[in-house]
Amino acid sequence: MELTLLHLYPDAMSLYGEYANLSVLRRHLEALGVTVHLEKVTCENVPDFTRADLVYMGAGTEGAQKAVLLGLPHHADALRDALDRGCLLFFTGNAMEILGRSVTDAKGRTWNALGFSDFTTVETDKRTPGDVIATSTLWETPTVGFMNKCSTTSGITTPLFSALPLGFGNDAEHGAEGYALGNILATHITGPVLVKNPDFTDLIIRRLFAAKGWSLPEQLPVLPHEREAYAVTLRELQARLK
Amino acid sequence: MRMFLAIVVCKLLRFIGKLVGKGSSLPGQYALKVCPDVLRRVKLPPYIIAVTGSNGKTSTVEMIASILRAAGKDVVYNAEGSNQIEGVTTLILSRSSLTGKMKGDVLLLESDERYAKFSFRYFHPTHFVITNLYRDQLTRNGHPEWVFESILPAIHQDTTLVLNADDPLVSRFAQGHDPEKVKWFGLERCSISTDTPRGVYDDGQRCPVCRGRMVYSCYHYHHIGHYHCESCGYHRHEPDFAVTELDLKAGRLVIGGDTEIRLSFRSIYNVYNILSAWSVCSLAGVEKSVMASVINDYILKNGRMVRFALGEHHGVLLTSKHENSVAYDTNLDYICATEKPCTVIILVDAISRKYFTGETSWLWDIDFDRLSCPQVEKVVLCGKYVNDLAMRFDYTSVAPEKIVCYDTAGQAAEALKAAGGEDLYVLTCFSDRDKLLSLTTRED
Repeated sequence: MELTLLHLYPDAMSLYGEYANLSVLRRHLEALGVTVHLEKVTCENVPDFTRADLVYMGAGTEGAQKAVLLGLPHHADALRDALDRGCLLFFTGNAMEILGRSVTDAKGRTWNALGFSDFTTVETDKRTPGDVIATSTLWETPTVGFMNKCSTTSGITTPLFSALPLGFGNDAEHGAEGYALGNILATHITGPVLVKNPDFTDLIIRRLFAAKGWSLPEQLPVLPHEREAYAVTLRELQARLK
Repeated sequence: MRMFLAIVVCKLLRFIGKLVGKGSSLPGQYALKVCPDVLRRVKLPPYIIAVTGSNGKTSTVEMIASILRAAGKDVVYNAEGSNQIEGVTTLILSRSSLTGKMKGDVLLLESDERYAKFSFRYFHPTHFVITNLYRDQLTRNGHPEWVFESILPAIHQDTTLVLNADDPLVSRFAQGHDPEKVKWFGLERCSISTDTPRGVYDDGQRCPVCRGRMVYSCYHYHHIGHYHCESCGYHRHEPDFAVTELDLKAGRLVIGGDTEIRLSFRSIYNVYNILSAWSVCSLAGVEKSVMASVINDYILKNGRMVRFALGEHHGVLLTSKHENSVAYDTNLDYICATEKPCTVIILVDAISRKYFTGETSWLWDIDFDRLSCPQVEKVVLCGKYVNDLAMRFDYTSVAPEKIVCYDTAGQAAEALKAAGGEDLYVLTCFSDRDKLLSLTTRED
């Protein structure tokens, strides 16, 4: 069993520990006996999605995201072809915004995005970094994390999280967050969200195995410290809610 | 009249505040209510030096104050760390006459990156030192480019910028500024320089101006080094003030090719703090010999480095702001420069002392692989976030058998006290350090 994970533009889109999402995913997959190929595509390179089973892009600064918006739409067709053949797209932080129709910056300039969905994003000159508890639509347990954004995203009808008991959603405090449709999973949660949420990692593993038609063991691997770390963060954030 | 009233209110509240042991922001806050533009009306000293940046503000300001005082100048500075406009107002007005003239030769300000634009709305520094910008406290700061944009409105065209030439993002402040009013400091290629970046991430890969690919001829640490952009030509400037030789191991540096300085704290941070203090003090007219006599063996007195004893152990606590991977990496380098066997203790319990957050992403930005060296015999992880730490270490090259975990600092201290006598190094933040230090005997 072999899988190729493609990390798109880590040289530009790396705000805080994004790489660790793929480190953790890789270790879980290896525990299941999968040989993992991790490929990094920097901004100078033309991405080759033909072998990718998962394409990941993390958060960047607003400036870095605009540079990606200038380049990546040229490869939109190739990325869509990959999606159509079952490749999973996992975008976090403001990489999520790139999946929509457009991003408008705080000065009012609009940038065309990939157009994989009709949602649009508008940046503001206010930043709202903060802890997050999110109610997942695709798995049971709450998701914990941190969001570091200065934008609102409108027009999403299929969010990844139905509500944020703690935090600012796509366009409202406590509102729905992220985007999930078909093979696309996206959230504005920043940084190593999979490190903090083993159930989120498991969901991605299930998706990857399903796409390949591989069968999974009933019990997915539980790696040391992950569940305990998750429990502490969830407890601390929930105490904050009260 | 309003200025007069504001000064009276400030002095009175400051007097009462000191009696009851209250902070330094409140008097300024009320004074600003009485006269919002009081800082424009007050006559300030001929030198107004501000220092901002992600790391080294407090240490640099303290060093500048020591040098200027040794040169006979009357220096007023915000030693209490009140670096927002209210605290600055208190500082200025409590040192002003009732007619609105501030006493002193130099007003020296440690300035918060995000609040500088408010502090300098009604007056501006004659000299603005910007030390560095990197990943620091994302929970407050967002990211370094966001901080850059926050500082930008605080810069007045008449201010002389004193910039770190080796930091590409800091160097951007010179764009559009009168070149005559920009002075650069930097470190020439030296013993610590590397051809490739060290660390978990590399924030120097993309040009901060055009996003093109950046090329470094050498790195000093993280994205600090000698760079140029392949696309737009953006490049490091030749420094006006340079460290021309550096031997961290021997604790020796040379400034400008002719002045040797001994380092009591052998850290790259200290080198840049010294160099930035040297640069701005030179610009204020201080003689080299005076600066050198103060900086030689200069010992930081701000409690960032504390010596202690625990059982048979002697230890050093290095304060490394949580949420700041560069600070951690720098202190890891300091530890690894030791040749004696040691145990390293990492404590993450409260991520900040000023606000709540459960955010631990920054642990993944720290290059803990640096602890994978023979003299580090044991790594003790402790605190509320011990599981996050343990998980992070599972992804390093540090041998698992060297790692021991405890839920609290108390349990870790008890276990260490009971056995062994090797040197200890503690890495933690202001928010957590007393949880361990309170269980030890101070040796400073």
